[in-house]
Amino acid sequence: MAEERPQYKVGRLRRALAEDPRTNELGIEVRVRDRDVHLTGEVACEERRRAVVEVARENLPGHEVYDELTVARIDGDTAEERLP
Amino acid sequence: MITIAAVGDVHLDEAMRGQYRERLAGLPDEADALLLAGDLTKHGTVDEGRVVAEEFRDLGVPVIAVLGNHDHHSDAQKEITELMRGEGITVLEGEGTVVDCPGGRLGVAGVKGFGGGFAGKCATEFGERETKDFVRHGREAAEALGEALRGLDADLLVGLTHYAPVKETLTGEPPEIFPFLGNYLLAEALDDSGAALGVHGHAHAGTECGVTAGGVRVRNVALPVLRRPYALYRLDGAGGG
Ligand SMILES: [Fe+2]
Ligand SMILES: [Fe+2]
Repeated sequence: MAEERPQYKVGRLRRALAEDPRTNELGIEVRVRDRDVHLTGEVACEERRRAVVEVARENLPGHEVYDELTVARIDGDTAEERLP
Repeated sequence: MITIAAVGDVHLDEAMRGQYRERLAGLPDEADALLLAGDLTKHGTVDEGRVVAEEFRDLGVPVIAVLGNHDHHSDAQKEITELMRGEGITVLEGEGTVVDCPGGRLGVAGVKGFGGGFAGKCATEFGERETKDFVRHGREAAEALGEALRGLDADLLVGLTHYAPVKETLTGEPPEIFPFLGNYLLAEALDDSGAALGVHGHAHAGTECGVTAGGVRVRNVALPVLRRPYALYRLDGAGGG
């Protein structure tokens, strides 16, 4: 069987990340090069980060999945903006 | 002056219970009301709706919310709405509400809104049934927002949506998906009703600040955009002090 093209692997994994109830993540960037899969983007917590990597590994067996995700920070200062 | 706190896309689930509420203790000293711009849950389940209701109850300020697409994912939006209302949270879908603040009467109208795209590059009600349904849902949401805003008697009007009314606040998102992120008819509704501010979420990779063609300020308050627990906007209530 012919190897699936990287573009379709990206499309399939992005759909899986959006539709799999463990993740439902719509904002993950996926890049595939040969057998390397790079995941970037932001998730809300460590648990979700693990879920994203898990779904990626299941969907692309035989690939090396690189976790370059960041966990969102929400501890910034709530400075107020004045709207005249 | 009226000060509004706003945030969207908190995407709470059981695992995050209590974590977000921790950050809201200062609200009564800072704001007259808290607006929630939808995507309050992760998967839109009843259990997650319960977490949301408990996370945002009794905060010492009125809490006014719309739901987002994630809150519809499990077809439990009615149950989620009821759970939130049961805890005293105002949930808007094509309705408005007025909060009496020391600085004047704050009127908030809210809809989830929908996609459809932006002027000149939007989908139209033509062709397949599925396309027409998609476009009509967006148009009807915008009409409901305009009607709700015009029905409010207040000193300051705010339009609260999940989907974006302008594309400026989508900057950072891939342009190919703009038609799924917002609808310019929402901006037209803000412009036509004399709103002072439009608040939305949904675009996690977008930017905070934008403005409608008519000069109404728009703020994307999606939590990943804000990187702070909530935004605070201080506005002049025309009739207030
Ligand atoms: Fe969201
Ligand atoms: Fe959303």
